[in-house]
Amino acid sequence: MTIGARLSSFLPSFRHSVIPSLLIPMDDAQTDHLKAYGLTYKAIQAGLKAEWLLNYRGGSFLVPDLDALRRDAALNGIRFEPVDSGMPAVRGEIEANNMDAVPLEKAPKVAVYAPPNAAPWDDAVTMALQYAGIPFTKIWDADVVNGGLRDYDWLHLHHEDFTGQYSKFFLIYSGLPWLAEMVQRNSDMARRLGFQTVPDLKKAVARGIHGYVENGGFLFAMCTATETIDLALAAEHVDIAATFADGTPIDPDADAKLDWSKSFAFTSAHLEPNPLVASFSDIDGHQVNGGARRQPLGAFTLFNFSAKIDPVPTMLVQNHRQVVSDFYGLTTSFTRNRLKPGVTILAEEEGAPWVKYVHGDLGKGTWTFFGGHDPEDPQHQIGDPPTDLSLHPHSPGYRLILNNVLFPAAKKRELKT
Amino acid sequence: MTRSLNWAAVASLVLVFSADPGRAARGQAIGPGFELERSGRYADAATIYFTTVRSDPTNLPALLGLERTLFVLNRMSELLPLVQQARARLPESPALRSLELRVYAALNQTDSLAAIALRWAASVPRSDAPYREWGLALVDRRMWDEARRAYLTGRKTLGGEGTLAIELAELEQRAGNWEASAAEWVRAVTRSADVGPNAASQLADAPAPVHEHVARILTGPDASVRVRRVGAEVLLAWGQPNEAWVVMDQTLGQDDSDTQVALRRFADLAGALPTPEGHRVRGMALTRWADFVPSPVSDRARAEAVRELLEGGDRAGARRVLEAHADATALGQASLLQILIADGQLDVAAARLEASKTALTADDRGALRLALAQARIARGELDRADAALGDDSSVAAIAQRGWIALYRGNLKGAMEAFRVAGPYATDRAAATERTAMMALLQRIQEESSPELGAALLTLARGDSVAAIAALRRAASRLPVQGGRLEVQLLAGQVAAQKGGDQEAIAVALFDEVVRAGGEGAAPPAAELDWARLLVRTGRSAEAIPHLEHLILTYPNSAFVPEARRVLERAKGAIPKS
Repeated sequence: MTIGARLSSFLPSFRHSVIPSLLIPMDDAQTDHLKAYGLTYKAIQAGLKAEWLLNYRGGSFLVPDLDALRRDAALNGIRFEPVDSGMPAVRGEIEANNMDAVPLEKAPKVAVYAPPNAAPWDDAVTMALQYAGIPFTKIWDADVVNGGLRDYDWLHLHHEDFTGQYSKFFLIYSGLPWLAEMVQRNSDMARRLGFQTVPDLKKAVARGIHGYVENGGFLFAMCTATETIDLALAAEHVDIAATFADGTPIDPDADAKLDWSKSFAFTSAHLEPNPLVASFSDIDGHQVNGGARRQPLGAFTLFNFSAKIDPVPTMLVQNHRQVVSDFYGLTTSFTRNRLKPGVTILAEEEGAPWVKYVHGDLGKGTWTFFGGHDPEDPQHQIGDPPTDLSLHPHSPGYRLILNNVLFPAAKKRELKT
Repeated sequence: MTRSLNWAAVASLVLVFSADPGRAARGQAIGPGFELERSGRYADAATIYFTTVRSDPTNLPALLGLERTLFVLNRMSELLPLVQQARARLPESPALRSLELRVYAALNQTDSLAAIALRWAASVPRSDAPYREWGLALVDRRMWDEARRAYLTGRKTLGGEGTLAIELAELEQRAGNWEASAAEWVRAVTRSADVGPNAASQLADAPAPVHEHVARILTGPDASVRVRRVGAEVLLAWGQPNEAWVVMDQTLGQDDSDTQVALRRFADLAGALPTPEGHRVRGMALTRWADFVPSPVSDRARAEAVRELLEGGDRAGARRVLEAHADATALGQASLLQILIADGQLDVAAARLEASKTALTADDRGALRLALAQARIARGELDRADAALGDDSSVAAIAQRGWIALYRGNLKGAMEAFRVAGPYATDRAAATERTAMMALLQRIQEESSPELGAALLTLARGDSVAAIAALRRAASRLPVQGGRLEVQLLAGQVAAQKGGDQEAIAVALFDEVVRAGGEGAAPPAAELDWARLLVRTGRSAEAIPHLEHLILTYPNSAFVPEARRVLERAKGAIPKS
């Protein structure tokens, strides 16, 4: 890995462009917000310098004014504005307000953790990457356990259940072919890698990912992966898997034995012991499968950070909308009183006991958790058709995902002393 | 704990509450336990239930609460002595007996479970309940072989082929033994007709590889009428309406209330099939059902049957229904005329239409005139088509006259008629087609073009290949920027739709239009259609440069958004929808 992940400080933002530039506005003037990220990624992938103008017109991008980029923008329906003469005024506005210009210098190498048979449309991040034209590699358990993560700058997790309980669908969807295949595939992998049970394998994978972040990796997780990776890490020496998953019942004292010092974001959670309830713990505020505990969807509000002092959280919340409609996932949100001290809240539902989007540092790396499954399919059910992102080119929820893909490209600033 | 176990517990709870107000009061004492359970605090809930059982050892709601919570907490062994104590006090209670069996099953003590079940069976020698509960307790543990043995012990002891057949059918289904499940459902249906719908609904889930075997069991020569009707419903559910109707038809000899109910059910189930075959068999079932019910229900059923038969492409069947009922309603008359027109008996239809003026509504009459005119056009009889419209001054008739003028080569007259008819006359597809034709005609300066009219008439008559050649000839007589490209584009679109050998012609035509370029909408439209044709024929990589050329050359064209979508698909960046 060549890009350090601790982005607590950045290069001085003031930098005059000597070549003409294209401003890619990210406010309501933009005609395809999602593809704009892909264009910027391709520019830096080609070795060009780009800048992310935080809080300026919805978090706009500045790329060199080259025919190839103009052509790419035209083909993809991305609005751009040539800004030669206007740039001093733009920079002046950035200097005078809660804005900043962050150089983007190296395209991060992206890995998506997913089973080999997962369709490209199985998770929101894969869809966003595919639609924006950002290349990625699919990796799975064997790659993580064998140290393959070191080849990537950015890792995404989505609906993996790191407790090894097949999202607790084992009893509910018993007999269905897709579940049988999932069980078979995971069991085979556990055997192949020398683990007695699938929960043991998944715990090892969770530890591998934890180590990857400590060594400088960028982790972005959504849906079930957020909650279960922390449960798996905290339960390194505790049986938290139901009998159907590992042949032994949950340790009756599991709650008390969990070691939260090993987790990323959460602490002091209580496990859901019922194998028939597809919920893992009280970390999730919405409990979509929790029967009477299920909470209705509302809307979440993005926090405003100081662009010049807190550039990382500022990058993660760049958007043309401040309030975004919520969407369910097996893990939809994160209960406030289960968050570790020091976790940065990026978005919350005002007045609700849960938050939606959180971020933190670990060792040399960072992690970001975003609750829910698909920002444009709020009630997502198993078997639903895939979301066609060409019908949602302005999706503010998907923008948050793509912010995460691009922020590791930001150039580290030397620490001030 | 499985769902069925939970449901058993909850159902027993409801039964207890409703049967005895005193017990309901005892149940209320554990209300806080319920709340704790709902909020996931199982250990606290169990403590409340234990307290209740200590003071009232036969309190069934509390014992069931312990069954639910201790299972989750993996402490079922603590429940056994309490249940044994309660059962000793109330040995006649089936709920306590069942609970005891479930606890033994949960503790995996199958020998004790069998002994307890047989002891209970000995105390109620004519009841199948002990065997049912014994089997269910094992099914909940997914112990299929042991559960099967329990049920078969009950069948052997109590006698009767159909004893515990439903339980065995469900067990075999869960174990994936679909043929055995079907055989058990046959026994269950033979014992009680009421089971039929449930049997059909369960067997509808059988996977495709076993369909043939299951169908043989349900529809073979030895199957009873009742079983064959279940077989017909299952075939319908599998999307085999023709086979289903053959089976159903063979059971319709008897004139009884069961037959009427079976036909109605069959017709309703067929309604879920959107295929022409589905419509056809629904029409046949409704036709037969109408014979069992009095008027006006039978009239409505026949009218619906005719619609379904027509939808299913069975005009002869629809006509038979209509002709068999001479006193047909206006709806029937209209349907009959539609059939005559569709059958090509235009003179007969015209005469009947004239004769039954008063029997038809104005809407029906207008629609039939239009249909007759379109049928005349399809034969190339433009004068008679005009005559069929008569003095009809509706916008639909005016639009139709526009097409007749166009086919005669009178471009100016056609344009005027389309303008008067406006953009909303008739249905959406026809209005869109008219608007597209107006866009084409606008590019042509000439007021008349018999060649183009004849080419379009050939197209309207369904001879695509001849129409493509005729359109190309007509285009060659028009100036490049005066309609030639638009007519070539139309010819290319027809050729692309035709496929096969015509695809090469389509490509040549699109190429010619794209190369010509210019201000009109034809070049980007031709390039988009060209790309679509390439994508459709699996040559997405070749489509990409065309789409990029279109987007970059005609950035303001109305085709650009669609071109971008096709480009995304060609690149595999968005799913097929």
